Amino acid sequence: MTAVRDGPRVLLLVPARTYRAADFLAAAARMGLDLVVGSDGALPLGGGPVISVRSGDPDASAALIAARCGPVAAVVAADTPMLPLAAAVAERMGLPHNPPEAVLNATDKARQRRRWAAAGVAQPGFEIVPAAAPDGVIGGAAAAVGFPCVVKAVSLSASQGVLRAGDPAGAVAAARRIRQVLAPRDEPLLVEAYLPGPELSIDGLLSRGELTVTAVFDKPHAPDGPTFEETLLVSPSRLAPRVLAAAIGTAGQAARALGLTTGPVHAELRLGDRGGRPAMLELAARCIGGLCSRVLRFPGGRTMEELVLANALGQAVPGPGPGRPCGVYMLPVPRPGVLRAVEGRAAAAAVPGVTGLTITIPVGQRVLPLPDGDRYLGFIFAEGGDQRAVETALTAARDRLRVLID
Amino acid sequence: MTDPAVTDPAGAVAAALERTIGPTVVARGAAVRGAGVRDGVVTLEVTGSPGAVLPLAARIETLVRAAAPGITAVRLVAPGSGPGEPAAPPPGEDLAAAARRILDAEVNPAIAAHRGHVTVDGAAQGWIRIRLEGGCQGCSLAEVTVRQGIEPLLRARLPGMTGLADVTDHEAGSDPFFSPEKR
Repeated sequence: MTAVRDGPRVLLLVPARTYRAADFLAAAARMGLDLVVGSDGALPLGGGPVISVRSGDPDASAALIAARCGPVAAVVAADTPMLPLAAAVAERMGLPHNPPEAVLNATDKARQRRRWAAAGVAQPGFEIVPAAAPDGVIGGAAAAVGFPCVVKAVSLSASQGVLRAGDPAGAVAAARRIRQVLAPRDEPLLVEAYLPGPELSIDGLLSRGELTVTAVFDKPHAPDGPTFEETLLVSPSRLAPRVLAAAIGTAGQAARALGLTTGPVHAELRLGDRGGRPAMLELAARCIGGLCSRVLRFPGGRTMEELVLANALGQAVPGPGPGRPCGVYMLPVPRPGVLRAVEGRAAAAAVPGVTGLTITIPVGQRVLPLPDGDRYLGFIFAEGGDQRAVETALTAARDRLRVLID
Repeated sequence: MTDPAVTDPAGAVAAALERTIGPTVVARGAAVRGAGVRDGVVTLEVTGSPGAVLPLAARIETLVRAAAPGITAVRLVAPGSGPGEPAAPPPGEDLAAAARRILDAEVNPAIAAHRGHVTVDGAAQGWIRIRLEGGCQGCSLAEVTVRQGIEPLLRARLPGMTGLADVTDHEAGSDPFFSPEKR
């Protein structure tokens, strides 16, 4: 007996260091897709086709794929590092894709800010300082946007290399600290006004530039610095419909301003102190990161990854279903050291409403908190009768965990 | 009034899965859905990581039988297996031993390049259970190795195979070749 793989042939590009591989492979299996994997880490074993590619060399890898893959119905990047290659391959194959320049716009925070400024997208005031800029330039940029401000590396994500500063000296210190995170390379830094107020994320799928929203998460414990750990995400949003509609409109405008036309987007916005006009923080041409999508369910029991694959195949995708309120707690690394144990997992998993708990860093590995780290300790998932119950379950579960680092 | 669990057991099972254990299965990296009911036996398709589902098998059966009292047994199968009879190993051939031989000859030499190793934990009713070790345990690409490498290779060689379950405790992996990062 063979597994049913009589659906369309799809090329899935999987980077070596990703949380997303298993969920995309599961989605492809559920959809019966004939999968070809391109990866810079996976080993070809002679079973299903696996093509070794280099994400840093999209042109050469696209040529290799074109020679070895055969025709496919869609190309999907499982995670950010594969986005440029996916765009290059899809362009060669004549498949719907984001323009390569749009992908670059979405992966560089300086390009994002410039494009949004040109298009009139609401966002914080910003300055971009070149790599190796002297302290005076950094302090001047911070003074220009006002205090408090936020200093960011332009190429990193997941709040890595992001620090808040309260005065010019603080901005200079933040820039030095971020350059330590980036070392040995250097790059321009983004200095932008700090926006207080409620934060939310919007996930959606673009098709010919039109955005279908798939999920909106409130972030009840959004941090105010100096580092910006994402922790609690709860969906559906409790924002007023008028505010939510404005935020969705802003996210769609932001995606189009970057030139994105196809595939998933994950937008992060703040609303201002009084729940006012939404402003863009960042936007990525992928769906929500980490394992967060596992908490979402769509009509027919479909997963976010199934929707991404369906969208790539040109199929209509549904918006959020009438599912139960749900949420995720992303466990940040509290301090540097070697992870010795995460105790209390059974007690945390037993909290009513908690549907899953996954620790994603092995015991014995060195861990780094923000602004240095790029990983979370793990993820807690929950459902509940309402959003408050979800939030209560997630925080109760988190409180039952004891993270031992030395 | 007729009990819907009696008139539509498949619907009752699907609703119970969706309402209760489905999110837990998803959170463990897999998915389960009803494939059919025949003669009181419900067949559930397992996708993703069956190793994440098999430890829940007893809980799933209890749940399903409570939701649809006419159900007498629950089978977990790979997609496409349908509600037919369980596949058996070829006569005279031990499925686990055959799988072990194939993996040792064709897979282990390759994944040794990533400090990895795969062993056969056992086989029952056509399901082969494997365990990933070394660099494969907890690797962010382990699922690619299993689903795009090992599984199709074994299926091509072992017609009696129903499915492949990765029973590795990936969270306990101490030295994965690739660790995930949030992007």
